[in-house]
Amino acid sequence: MNPSAQRITLDQWDQRYAELHARGLCEPTYGGPLRRHVREGDVRLLKLRMDNSAAALRLWNFLLSEEDRLHRARAEGKKIIGTMKDLGTVPVMAYSLDNAVAFYPDGAWWLPCVMEDRTGLLPIADSLGIDESFCPVRAMLGAFVSEAHFPIPDMLTCSVGATCDDVAAIAQRLAGLGFPILWWEVPHRRRPDPGEPSVELPGGFLAPASQVAFVRSELDRVREAIEACAGQRLTDERLSAGIAQANRVRRLLDELRRLGYGASPCPLPVLEMLIAEMLAIHFCSDREETIRVLEDLLTEVKRRASAGIGVLAPDAVRVFWVNPVADLRVMNLLEDAGGRVCGSEYMFCHALDAIPEDLPPMEALARMALADPMVGSPADRAERICRDAQRFGAEAVVISRIPGASHCGLEGTIIGDAVRAGLGLPVAEIEVPPISDSIEPALRTRLEALIETVVDARGTTFKSSNENCRGTTFKSSNENCSGTTFKSSNENCRGTT
Amino acid sequence: MNTVVYCSPFVPAEWIAAHGMRPSWLRPRSAAGRPRAGAARGVCPYAGAMVDTVLSGIEAAAVVLTTTCDQMRYAAATLERQGSLPVFLMNVPRTWETAAARDLYRDELRRLGRFLVRLGGKEPSPEELACAMLRYDDARVRRVGQAQRSPTEEDAPGLGGTALRLSHPTTALPQQERIPLALIGGPLAEEDSGLFDLIERAGGCVVLDATEGGERTLPAPFDPERTRTHPLEELVDAYFGSIPDVFRRPNDRLYQWLGEQIAARGVRGILFRRYLWCDLWHAELHRLRQWSPVPVLDFDAVGEEDSAMARTVGRLEAFLEMLQ
Repeated sequence: MNPSAQRITLDQWDQRYAELHARGLCEPTYGGPLRRHVREGDVRLLKLRMDNSAAALRLWNFLLSEEDRLHRARAEGKKIIGTMKDLGTVPVMAYSLDNAVAFYPDGAWWLPCVMEDRTGLLPIADSLGIDESFCPVRAMLGAFVSEAHFPIPDMLTCSVGATCDDVAAIAQRLAGLGFPILWWEVPHRRRPDPGEPSVELPGGFLAPASQVAFVRSELDRVREAIEACAGQRLTDERLSAGIAQANRVRRLLDELRRLGYGASPCPLPVLEMLIAEMLAIHFCSDREETIRVLEDLLTEVKRRASAGIGVLAPDAVRVFWVNPVADLRVMNLLEDAGGRVCGSEYMFCHALDAIPEDLPPMEALARMALADPMVGSPADRAERICRDAQRFGAEAVVISRIPGASHCGLEGTIIGDAVRAGLGLPVAEIEVPPISDSIEPALRTRLEALIETVVDARGTTFKSSNENCRGTTFKSSNENCSGTTFKSSNENCRGTT
Repeated sequence: MNTVVYCSPFVPAEWIAAHGMRPSWLRPRSAAGRPRAGAARGVCPYAGAMVDTVLSGIEAAAVVLTTTCDQMRYAAATLERQGSLPVFLMNVPRTWETAAARDLYRDELRRLGRFLVRLGGKEPSPEELACAMLRYDDARVRRVGQAQRSPTEEDAPGLGGTALRLSHPTTALPQQERIPLALIGGPLAEEDSGLFDLIERAGGCVVLDATEGGERTLPAPFDPERTRTHPLEELVDAYFGSIPDVFRRPNDRLYQWLGEQIAARGVRGILFRRYLWCDLWHAELHRLRQWSPVPVLDFDAVGEEDSAMARTVGRLEAFLEMLQ
């Protein structure tokens, strides 16, 4: 529909929307101009640069209409299951039933960013003693108390054990306030002892078979509770069908990541890639629509990649990004500085790996839950980050700290050291608050310095202007990589078209 | 005899001792002259000091840490990467209402046992385990019964070196004139050794030590008969089945225990001590204040800080004046 690819502002999106509409854009029921979300309070959009495709429009509208979708599900009599600290396991179970939807209440952590602190959620959390020394996920507490965002779920689950203390502590506060919670345990994933029966998990980690069996028994408890809540049997047949659908989402994301991160020039901005990946966690409250949104996005990325169209300069520095950012705008900053994200580990890479379909479904889900990078040793996580960074041809790694998060105090050093030692890549560790405007110059400087370090090492002259890309068509070229001295340099161009 | 250090009350000292090792409760201290993990933003001062202490060199054969707090989990990984001592990270389930969680804890004890054997320990027979359990149980009973104690007794056998503290007068103020207080929170560090004296000088008296390593985290007394017939099961129930703690989900039993003890000891005020960046205790402060039948004073520990002690003293004195 559009030969050019650009990152555009909301103002530009107004015009772009009119153009698309004039050309007969077909939209789903939740469609419409992005501007309406600003009127509804999502004012951070005014400071973002977003992809200009119709597929991206659909993605943004899908993301920003989730609350409406949940309220509609409630009105339709569906059971709503809130799955706290659960990145992709219980939602697969819930969506296997036809009268239940699952959502991720922790996702409220982005509300202070998207609404630029006008939600009132953080002051509510403050008033309950959960101050800024906690991760921004504390916004979830405010959302429950105010009931101003998502509907109060019919059932709440929370995984605990080898999970962050922030959510465990905040969820306990919720329980203390009268919200019943089904706690289920995910133990710290350890490496099997010599001779101990072990299981390979999706993504490649190994775990003792006994730990998988334990998690499976925990998920059995969850299954019984979901059945009681929904009034339906969650049979293995239903679960297998649900897993197959979840894998459709994961396969789409796998292909999207392969092209989106691998093609040169970069066919889709990182902001849209990030949101697309987030859909894997709980399908943004509509699994079937998630599939359609991702299919649209993938079609657009394929079109761009095959035509050599991109949104960034072909020589943009390839950066592997670790952890999600509390402020979406920071992803724009990286691209403004001359970088592109070529791979990511947003704390839920296990939700992107295919769930085994040749196993009993509960066994498969247990393995997937234990494959969570955050429940194992950070050394294991660092290992996977190195592996993926190498696979995606990264030239640098950014570790984004989440303010107050219990895992961020010590993990950055472990991951950073592993990347430097294993790949020889430069690493920058930054901390991103929900609204980063006040520290934007410092963040920009850090990211620019990282980009310049890579460019200097390349020995090439680099233009950091994104203007290079606007409306132009690039031919993907292997020349981008020639003469570089990075360990993973030959990988840089693989997967390009 | 090899020493095995630990700093969680969910690591049974008698289990280590029964394997022929010397259990020692690690009281972390801030190490000078080396990079300080605790100085990093977001790192709990206690977890950071623990890392610093172990990395600075301690006389031990191994370190045993638990998953009862997320930062300790990451501290274990840091020590595995940077340190030279073997590190054992023990899974202690946060849920406790299912048989599966209890069994997981028991299996982790067995795994710890195999680790100790690899270190040169010896797998105990049921009789040897029962004997060690009863010896430690007896020592705990005697210690709890003491009205006074000397600080040098902290590492006495029988408690596995746990930091059980009971009030001991250091001022001329008669016991009955001091204000009975409960001290609630996480574990105490080496720098906190003067805290009890400080409280007493201000006119208070800790009659309930509910910190980690204090009497709150003592296991339930062992049943002698079951100890003889099923020692490991009794050990599991006494520790996993009875210790109330903030990390457990749900953690209502912590409040139940506190409520009983506050009433029984005539506590008139609660000193709530938490570390900066400790989410688990910090999140409970507001709830505790709403729940508590007596006033609560919050004082946070931020690690080494010149003004911290003066601030603590000032707040403590004001609190006790209010309680007069």
